[in-house]
Amino acid sequence: MGNEKLTISLNEVLFFFTRAGFGVNAPIGVAEDFARSNIWIAENGFDPCLCSLESLKSLDNKISSLSVQFKENNFYCPKDRYLSSLIASVVAIDRINLDTEDSELILKNVDYPILVIAAMGANNCNNLQVFWRDENNNEYLVRFNSSDSWELLSSNQAPIELSKGADMIIRPINVRTNEPRNIIHKKYTTSKEKGKILQGGVEVGENWPGIYDFFSRCLVKSTAESRAMGAGAGLVDTD
Amino acid sequence: MGQNKYSEEKLIRPPEKVMRLDRMGSSHQTRLSFMRSLARRMSNEKWKFKCLRRDIDDNGFGVSVYAVNTTKRTYSLIAFTQDIPPNKRTDRVIAEVWDATFSLFDGIPTQKDIDYLALNTPKQEGGRFRPSELVLARANKSLRLFEHVISSLAKGNQPDIKLLSSVGYLMRTTAVYGSGKFGCADRGKIANREECKGAFQIELLAVYLIRWFTIDLVEYIAKKRGGNKSTKLDPSISQSLGIGNSTGLGMAPFLLKHPLLVHNLIMAKETALARVRAIKTPNNETIDSFTKSLERVSQHLSEWVVDDNMQTDRINCLKDEVKSLINWSSGESVFNNYYPWNSIYEHAEDYYSLECQEIIVSLIIEPHGYLVDDLADTMFSESIPKINVKMEISDLKKIIKIYYNWAINIDFTKPKSQYHFWYYSEDKLEPRFGSRKNDSGSDQEMPLAIGRDVNDLNEVLLNNKDDILVGQFVLENPQFRHIIRRIQNTLQAPYSEIQDNLLDESMMPLNLLRFKLAFFGASKFDPKSNLWTRISMYQGAPMPENLSADGFDSWYFPITPKL
Repeated sequence: MGNEKLTISLNEVLFFFTRAGFGVNAPIGVAEDFARSNIWIAENGFDPCLCSLESLKSLDNKISSLSVQFKENNFYCPKDRYLSSLIASVVAIDRINLDTEDSELILKNVDYPILVIAAMGANNCNNLQVFWRDENNNEYLVRFNSSDSWELLSSNQAPIELSKGADMIIRPINVRTNEPRNIIHKKYTTSKEKGKILQGGVEVGENWPGIYDFFSRCLVKSTAESRAMGAGAGLVDTD
Repeated sequence: MGQNKYSEEKLIRPPEKVMRLDRMGSSHQTRLSFMRSLARRMSNEKWKFKCLRRDIDDNGFGVSVYAVNTTKRTYSLIAFTQDIPPNKRTDRVIAEVWDATFSLFDGIPTQKDIDYLALNTPKQEGGRFRPSELVLARANKSLRLFEHVISSLAKGNQPDIKLLSSVGYLMRTTAVYGSGKFGCADRGKIANREECKGAFQIELLAVYLIRWFTIDLVEYIAKKRGGNKSTKLDPSISQSLGIGNSTGLGMAPFLLKHPLLVHNLIMAKETALARVRAIKTPNNETIDSFTKSLERVSQHLSEWVVDDNMQTDRINCLKDEVKSLINWSSGESVFNNYYPWNSIYEHAEDYYSLECQEIIVSLIIEPHGYLVDDLADTMFSESIPKINVKMEISDLKKIIKIYYNWAINIDFTKPKSQYHFWYYSEDKLEPRFGSRKNDSGSDQEMPLAIGRDVNDLNEVLLNNKDDILVGQFVLENPQFRHIIRRIQNTLQAPYSEIQDNLLDESMMPLNLLRFKLAFFGASKFDPKSNLWTRISMYQGAPMPENLSADGFDSWYFPITPKL
């Protein structure tokens, strides 16, 4: 796989991102959910590599952690690290799906918030909104209006995929929440964007080789002995 | 009032009987197999087939385009053929050249599309594809047959039918990729199209077109070689030729990664069997068909010749058992009593091998198209299993006890229980089946150790309180997330799980391959090792021009035609 811009399928997102997550030692079930979130990102017209490579690197370099604890509606990392978005996204979805009476849910110091948003989108977490101010002081508000549409309100043009380091506040959509300053408003209809992706594929940028490198950790080096053990080994055409 | 003991619900075979590797490895095609249902659709909807382009030299090398018009769309097979060194002709995934390579295009390709594919399709996994391409495939010639057929036809003769029968195909595919592989279209692009809804329909359409292409190709080359002296294949010979296939380990992970699809496929087949067994009084037409099918299958078995000793023994046993069944079913006047199909099935279960039991399943379903063909419409799945965090641990334990008893009783501390591991090789991502004792790489094991993971989970659950919720448990134990999701899914889809240890020293991946290939509609399984098999597809299926002929659907258990 070269460095040039490549178009991949959603099935390839699932295949490569699951194993890339596994490649940084995320439990396989968490890695599967990570890949599903990346499909949602791709289906909405974003390059899934942009945020996910950073989140994988952060986990691999132990800047982020999969350790998570829950106390008084707060998920947080007990270590002095970012809470990895790989685990933040699954614990948030699980908590939402418990249908508790929480008035809000807070995810503390999440490394890449877009992956939590993607998990919510992929799991149809409708009628919820998420607000965060990242470590660059950029503010974002995402509203999930229905299973097919969502809106993004942000304080500037910085790509949401690269928003880093934030306490994310998840609330029901009908609870009054302050909107970002200097509001920039975008609306997305997932099915519409997905239709385009199914016709044209997912364009991935220069971060794709990095994802592939993490994926490659799941591959076993080939030896003369293992080659000889593959299906079809030792036979040229005889029929 | 309880249910009648002959009700469909009572007669359906339970997962613990069906989902065992030895039975799965004895599977045969049925009329619900994907190739059969696709051929019925082609016939019912009167699909039109046309060769749009044949830009090849006298030896058949170049590019060809074969199109099919369905009721709403056109699909085109683009075939690239080339001369390759004989020593490069291998069935393995890691091969680098093939006699023929194919892309199935969504629509009619432009010259620009063909130019793009000419640079990519022959490279197969090394190329990149676009959502306009639905399937990628390749095939190698059967050296014995290909030249023999061309030289016979060039001289104006028909080829040796015995030789044809011993191979069964002119070319053998070594991979057929769909569903987003290497950039091809995702299933989502076509999943809502009527003709693509069923599992693997678009891949098997490509294979059907490849088979047609191979026959057209030999006739074209023979004509070039023999001129006016040459002739075409006798239609009954064309029909008797299928397309070969070599299948290796790639299919095994698929079965484990698509539990809902597996459930739906088996549920359809088992429902069909139960419906037939529940018939109280059969009609004469179905009895006649069944009686004839026993003769047909006897001939099929006599023509099913393989090198593998174990499969040869099984075929020999089958021949005796089918003979015995013919005697028993006529002598016992089974059809004078109620529920005769059930009696036949139960007799097979009591006295015959698994291989014979499964062939009888196919044969008693076969005459009952009116009763079972609707089930083909249920043989797909688009949904994704989700974790149910609200379930109490006590309920999770119950599911394990009921559906995974086979797993929790295995002693995984014994080396033989974890003897193997599945992995992807860096060589073109070829799936391989290693042994922990001899091979490195078990750290990169694929997560396919279902039995072991359930066993590990069960050990941990035994020390957990029953009233906590799964959501809380996975927060503290994220390493079990995947297996809990799988177990919960099994409650809704009990036929989704293979109830054997896939890591065991005695494990034969061949059983998994055969199971899936039987659902495709394959015949003449020809195992080459425990890891791979050759098969024949579409052997006996009607050619495009015969899809509307009487009896077009009677191509189960193919036999050599009488000329």
